[in-house]
Amino acid sequence: MNIKEIKNELLNEKYYDIDHPSGLKILVMPKENYSSSYAIFATKYGSIDTMIQMKDGSFKEIPEGTAHFLEHKLFESEDLDAFERFAKTGASANAYTSFDRTGYLFSCSANFKKNLEILLDFVQNPYFTQATVEKEQGIIGQEIDMYKDVPDWEVMFNCLMNMYHNLPVRIDIAGTHESIAQISAETLYGCYDNFYNLHNMVLSVAGNVSVDEVIEVADKMLKPVEGKMAQRKVIDEPKEVVSSYVEEKLSVATPQFMFGFKENRDTPERTAKEEVTMEILLDMISGQSSELYRRLFDGKLINNSFGFEYFTGFGYSCVFFAGESTEPKAVADEIVKEIKSFRENGFDKAAFDRTKKKLYGRMIMGMNDVDGIANNMAISYFAGEDIFTDFEIYKTVTLEDVEELFKNTLDENYSVLSVIKPN
Amino acid sequence: MKTQNLGEGIRFCSVKTDKFKTCRVNISLAMPLDRNAASRAVLPFMLQRRCAEYPDYISLNRELDELYGASISAGVTKRGEAQVLNFSLTAIDDRFALDGDKVVLRCAELLTKMIFEPLTDGESFPADIIEQEKRLLIEIIENELNDKRRYAMLKCEEAMFADEAYGLNRFGTVDDVKALTPDAVYSAWRDVLEKATVQIVMVSSLDPKPVAELIKSKFDSVERSPEVIKTQFVPGLPKPEYVSESMPLKQGKLVMGFRTGMRNEDDMMPAMKVAVDIFGGGTYSKLFSVVREKMSLCYYCSAGLFNSKGVVMVQSGIEDVNEEKAKNEIIHQLALTANGEFTDEDFSASIKSLTDSILGNSDTPEEICVWYASQILREKMKTPEEYAEEIRKVDKQDVVRAAKTIMLDTVFMLKSNGEAE
Repeated sequence: MNIKEIKNELLNEKYYDIDHPSGLKILVMPKENYSSSYAIFATKYGSIDTMIQMKDGSFKEIPEGTAHFLEHKLFESEDLDAFERFAKTGASANAYTSFDRTGYLFSCSANFKKNLEILLDFVQNPYFTQATVEKEQGIIGQEIDMYKDVPDWEVMFNCLMNMYHNLPVRIDIAGTHESIAQISAETLYGCYDNFYNLHNMVLSVAGNVSVDEVIEVADKMLKPVEGKMAQRKVIDEPKEVVSSYVEEKLSVATPQFMFGFKENRDTPERTAKEEVTMEILLDMISGQSSELYRRLFDGKLINNSFGFEYFTGFGYSCVFFAGESTEPKAVADEIVKEIKSFRENGFDKAAFDRTKKKLYGRMIMGMNDVDGIANNMAISYFAGEDIFTDFEIYKTVTLEDVEELFKNTLDENYSVLSVIKPN
Repeated sequence: MKTQNLGEGIRFCSVKTDKFKTCRVNISLAMPLDRNAASRAVLPFMLQRRCAEYPDYISLNRELDELYGASISAGVTKRGEAQVLNFSLTAIDDRFALDGDKVVLRCAELLTKMIFEPLTDGESFPADIIEQEKRLLIEIIENELNDKRRYAMLKCEEAMFADEAYGLNRFGTVDDVKALTPDAVYSAWRDVLEKATVQIVMVSSLDPKPVAELIKSKFDSVERSPEVIKTQFVPGLPKPEYVSESMPLKQGKLVMGFRTGMRNEDDMMPAMKVAVDIFGGGTYSKLFSVVREKMSLCYYCSAGLFNSKGVVMVQSGIEDVNEEKAKNEIIHQLALTANGEFTDEDFSASIKSLTDSILGNSDTPEEICVWYASQILREKMKTPEEYAEEIRKVDKQDVVRAAKTIMLDTVFMLKSNGEAE
């Protein structure tokens, strides 16, 4: 078994990167003095994976929302379901499905080994019947409806739906009432076999644990499988957006908006350097210390909810500015105006240095909690990095890098303004 | 955890640990929740954005950037019938500062400047700033509508506690905010400094003394006469009230408010905590396993205990047509709990889950701060270990006794069949 120590001197932190003989990658960060531990067992399979690769290499479509449905159903088994088993140990267990991964997790302050056993066991042992699948359609139907009433959620999906013609990131993670009605026990088994292969997964643990404990349980519970990485299909997507404006009416007080800029890149995934550089760029343009922020705030156009995000994943990347405003169009105009002004006048070196210093502090602040650390180790692994990559890259980013990146992003010709208005 | 008194009604509580890479300082100021809530609610947000030395938020934010992205956040919470104003500072620990900067103390100084040396124009706050802050607070209050789960909860509280201070919104009403003048806010600020019950929590690897002394020196210049804060504990109604509202939504929201027989925030605790957890807490609870899992009626259905007021609130997102079915089942499951009809496994699952999560509460600076800050009105504070020990001592009889006192008081249904205007 190959065990590699990954260290960061500045943070005085280290974790272990283990290639388990079963084919699973295991990451462990022991944290002394912590009373709890957190483990996440994740697969590189999310809502954007709407195709399964067949033996002959071709792709077959699966219903929207299947990854999320599978996440709900995996907790069940023929006898005691996973929740009932965790109830005996006191752990708090949960799961989530995002655009590009599904994670099963628990946190506990006692019985760690027993909890890890349960986690590895239930995720490796699917049990679906037509009856339990139908029962779940009611619960998930309610979950879908619940999100339809959440303005933050609607404003984002309306934006994505009008930004992308073909990429599955435009569809709701839970799917629709119609799409989940097509899911059967057989669909779930098919997806499980394709995506829940140990070679396509990671186990990430942080907290009051030792490497030996984790390996001991892994040795006992993991069933070696033939190596197989699920392949993601690269989907063609035009440069243009579907529509530059979309609005919907919901029961809200102040209108909500999301102003998104679609990017057009040659490679499907963004590098850590691009992400860090973009973070600095966006903070300089619209962060709380920027002139734009002051203008919008004093002009009564935004409130505390205003923020930005670089939203990226396999095949897609875009920039979001979002918040609440009585005049979303005026906010969008101001943002476009500010981008133009930066194109003409360039950036201030002092602002760049200040933003970098802030980012340094924020990265350190992110290393406190075990759930954040364990999730980040898993995400970094799926991205082919380690959790200290950003620290190293951050040091090398220059103002020139920011200027270079700026040339290829934030083009208003490829933007979408999504608005939720009061009804 | 160590506590010391910095003055009348001012408790400083420090947790010294090098587990974390940050320092957190939380300052909470509690006042009785009353009709003047709005004048105080505007304070933390206004003070956190500027001070005499940094008169606008851009200059202040740039200073925070220079302090390695330190953040100072503000908020208002309700704890029983107290309105609590909160300020929370997060900064990197001095050991990570690049040039040997004393980041933590500099941040603490900035925090005290915000609270004690605000930007004024003599004996009042500048009118344009008050106008801006009023706009922002009104948007916060109005936008509580956006989160339907929370909105339904607030509406239920409003109806259930119509004659009690607990029914007041922690921010006051939109009309109250509209009526605020610079002078009213200024006098509310003086009032809070003089009359609030204050608790400071510091979680850091550093010696807390310089921060404690700094805060003490600021309060020393204030003439203190803390106001007594008392919460009314009211027994349940024999005949529950029903209130509803309609909106064009996809999903309805049901909230059921129950009174308990608790006479103060520690009465029947922690048995009440266990009872409510078995009824509607974790995945082993009756509400999750029956209303969600067996009946497939909803995605969530849970019960929460607010011991600072002695009430239990049940929340669920359901289709309108299932309202009666859900209500009847929730009441039925409560009756089963009160009759002791839960298994030894359910009971032990609850004890284990509660103690496990309480003991896990010491692993982030935020959780530690919230743990102690929420005990602001208690004379003697409990550590997570002490509370977990009390939970372990609860037996089935205690749970049944506590559950028997839970009575339905008010039902609020946010119906999804409303028409768009």
